[in-house]
Amino acid sequence: MLMNSGSCGTKMKICLELIILLPLLGGIANALLGGRLLSRRGSEVMACAAIWGSFAATLAVAAVYSSPVTLEIASWLAAFDFNAAFSLYLDPLSLLLCLMITFVCGLIHIYAVGYMRDDPSFVRFFALLNLFVAAMLTLVLAGNLPLLYLGWEGVGFCSYALIGFWYKDPKNATAGRKAFIVTRIGDIGLGIAIVWLFQLFGTLSITEINKMGFLMPMGVITALGLLMLLAAMGKSAQVPLMVWLPDAMAGPTPVSAQIHAATMVTAGVYLLMRMFPLIGVSATVTAAIAVTGALTAFYGATCALAQRDLKRILAFSTISQIGYMMLGVGAGAISAATFHLLVHAFFKALLFLGAGCVITALHHEQDIFRMGGLRRTLPGTYWPFLAGALCLAGVPLTGGFFSKDGILGAVWLKGGILYGGLYIVGLITAFITAVYTMRMLLIVFGGEIPLNPPLSKGEVKPLPRIMEWPLIPLALLGLCGGIINLPDYLGRGLLNSFLAQPGSQEQILSHSTELLLQGVAVVVALVGMSTAWLRFGGLRRQLRMAEAQQQARGLNAFLLNGWRVDALYGLLFIRPYVWLSSLLWQRIDEGCIDDSLDSMASLLGRCGQWLGSWGQGRVSLSLISMAAGAALMIVWLAWMVL
Amino acid sequence: MIVPLEHVLMLAIILFSLGLVCTLVWRSNVIMLLIGIEIMLNAAMLVFVGSSCHWGKADGQVFALMIMAMTSAEVSLALALVVYLHRRRNTVDVDEFRELRD
Repeated sequence: MLMNSGSCGTKMKICLELIILLPLLGGIANALLGGRLLSRRGSEVMACAAIWGSFAATLAVAAVYSSPVTLEIASWLAAFDFNAAFSLYLDPLSLLLCLMITFVCGLIHIYAVGYMRDDPSFVRFFALLNLFVAAMLTLVLAGNLPLLYLGWEGVGFCSYALIGFWYKDPKNATAGRKAFIVTRIGDIGLGIAIVWLFQLFGTLSITEINKMGFLMPMGVITALGLLMLLAAMGKSAQVPLMVWLPDAMAGPTPVSAQIHAATMVTAGVYLLMRMFPLIGVSATVTAAIAVTGALTAFYGATCALAQRDLKRILAFSTISQIGYMMLGVGAGAISAATFHLLVHAFFKALLFLGAGCVITALHHEQDIFRMGGLRRTLPGTYWPFLAGALCLAGVPLTGGFFSKDGILGAVWLKGGILYGGLYIVGLITAFITAVYTMRMLLIVFGGEIPLNPPLSKGEVKPLPRIMEWPLIPLALLGLCGGIINLPDYLGRGLLNSFLAQPGSQEQILSHSTELLLQGVAVVVALVGMSTAWLRFGGLRRQLRMAEAQQQARGLNAFLLNGWRVDALYGLLFIRPYVWLSSLLWQRIDEGCIDDSLDSMASLLGRCGQWLGSWGQGRVSLSLISMAAGAALMIVWLAWMVL
Repeated sequence: MIVPLEHVLMLAIILFSLGLVCTLVWRSNVIMLLIGIEIMLNAAMLVFVGSSCHWGKADGQVFALMIMAMTSAEVSLALALVVYLHRRRNTVDVDEFRELRD
C-alpha cells in the first residue's frame, strides 16, 4: 500500500513510531535511571507521561488517518527468502484498539501512582507496567506475524513478572508461574501456525496472508484456525486453559485492571479478529470459536456466582465477558466483538480500579462477606462502581447493554441449531451475569459497616484523590459507550461503518427483530437483577452474611472452586507429571546413571589401591628404581647396537 | 672446533653422573635433590650445544635456550614448594612426604 506523499505521511510515520516507542523508552529509562537518578516522583511522572504521550500520538494518527497503511520502520529478520521487518499495519481495528489501550492504561497508570505509593519497589513496577503497554501496542500494530509474536510473548513475560510482583510470598510467585506456563501451552499453537503459514505462503505479512486464503484447501485452513484458537484460548483464558486468570489476582490491583481490561487477555480475541479473513472461511473453525466462547461465558458466570473474594468475582466475570467476545467472533460479527471489547475494557478497568479502592480503604480485606455499608463511607468509589456494575449487568442504555446485545443479535442472525443453542446459552449467561453483579454490589456496598473485630480490620481508610479521580472518565465512557455503535433503528452505528470492510456486505437484522431481541435482553437483565435483590437485598442480606460464615458445601463449593477444574488438572496432568519426574529422578538418574558411574569410579579406585600397595611411596626409592631402570635400558640398547 | 665432540660428551657424562649421584645419595634434603636435577639438565644442555656445534645446525642451541627458560620456571616453582613443605612439616627430608601412597 502506498503512503500518500508529503509531510502528512512523514508526520504519520513519526507518530506511529512514537506510539510504541514512548512506553518502551519510558520503561527502559525507568529501569535504568529509576531509584538512582530519578526520585520517586520523577519515576511516576515519567511512567504516566510515556503512556499519555503515546495516547497523544495515537490521537494525532487518528486525526490524519484516511485508509489502511503499512509502514516499514526498520528491517528486523531477513535470511534468504524469509523476511520480517518492523512493519506496522494501521487499520480501523488496530487504531481503535490503540486508542483504547493508551487511554485506559494511562488512567490505570495514574491510579497506580496512588495505589503503589507505599511500595518500595516502585521502579520495577512502573518499568514493567510501561513495558507491558509497549508489548501490547506492538502486538496490536504488528504488520507481520513474527512481530505480533514478539508482542505476544512480551505481554506474556510482563504479565508473569507483574502477577508475581510481590514474589516474596511463594503463593504469588506460583501464580505468576502458573500464568506463564498455561499461556505457554497456547503459544505453542501460535508458534506452529506461524511456521506453517510461512511454509504455505512464503510470506508472513498479515495482510498478504489474509488475501491468499482461497489458495489453500479447506482442511489446512481449518487446522490453522484451530491452532490459532488454541493460542487465543491460552492468552484470553478460555475453556479449557482458563485456570490461570483467577490466580492472576495475586498481582497488584492496577496490574489486574491492566491485564483484564486493556492488555493481555484481549490479545487472543484480537488475534482471531486479525486473522479472521483467513480462518473465518472454515465453518468448523467459526463453530469451534463460538462454542468455546459460549462455554467459557457460561463457565465464568457460574463461577463468579459463588466467589467470596472481590477480585476473583471480577476475574471470573472477565473470563465470562471474553467468552462473549469469542462468541461474537465465532458468529462472524467482528465489529460487534470489537465493540464489546472496547466497552468491556472501560467498565472492567473501572470495576477493578473501584475494587482496588475498596480493598485499600478496608486495609487489604478482599472477602466480600466482611464488607458492607460502603455506599455511605466511600461515595467517590460507589457511584463509578455502580456505573460499571450496571454496564456489566447489561442494564438498558448502558454501553454494556448495546455491546452484549450486538453479539447476541449476531449469533441469532446465524440461525441453525448450533447457533440457536449458543444464543440460549448466551441469554442464560446474561441472566447469571446480572445476578452475580447485583450480589456483589449489594453485599459490598449495601447494609451496614461490620464493626466487630473478626469481621473488620478497622476504620475505613480515606483514599487519595488520585485513586478515585480516574474512575470518573471510565464510568462516563462505560455508560455512554453505546453511542459509538448505536443499533440500526437509532441510526447507523459509527463503529460498524468505521470497521466495515470495503466490498463485504454484512447481513443486518431487521429493525423489528433487533428490537425484539433487545426486549428479551432487557427482560433477562432485569429479572436477573431482581432475583439477586430477592436473595441479597434489604434485610435478607444479614441472613446471607450469617450463612457465609459457614463452610461452603455442595454446589456452592463446586462453583467456589471453579468447577474444581484445578483439582481435575492436578489429577490429570500434574500428578502423573510429578510421578514421572520422580521416577526419572530417583530411579533412572540416581538409580541407574549415577549408580553405574559411582560403581565404575569405586572399581577404578580399588584398582589404584591394589597397585599402590606395591609401592613404598618414598621418593628416594623411586629415584633409585628409575635410575636403575634407565641404566638397564641403556645397557640393553648398547647390547643391541654393538 | 677446538674441543672435539668426544670430550664434550665425556664432560657431559661426568656431569650427569655427578648429578645423578647427588639426587640418589642426598635424600635427606630436597634442595640438594633439586641441585642434582639442575646438574643433570645442564649436562643434557651441554650435549645439545656440543652436537649442534658439531653438525653445524642451530636446533640444539635453540633447545638449550628453551631448557634454560623451562628450568628457571621449574626451579622457582620447586623452591616455592620446598618453602611451603618446610613450613608445614618443619623438615626437608624427601622420604617424609609420602602421603600420595595412601
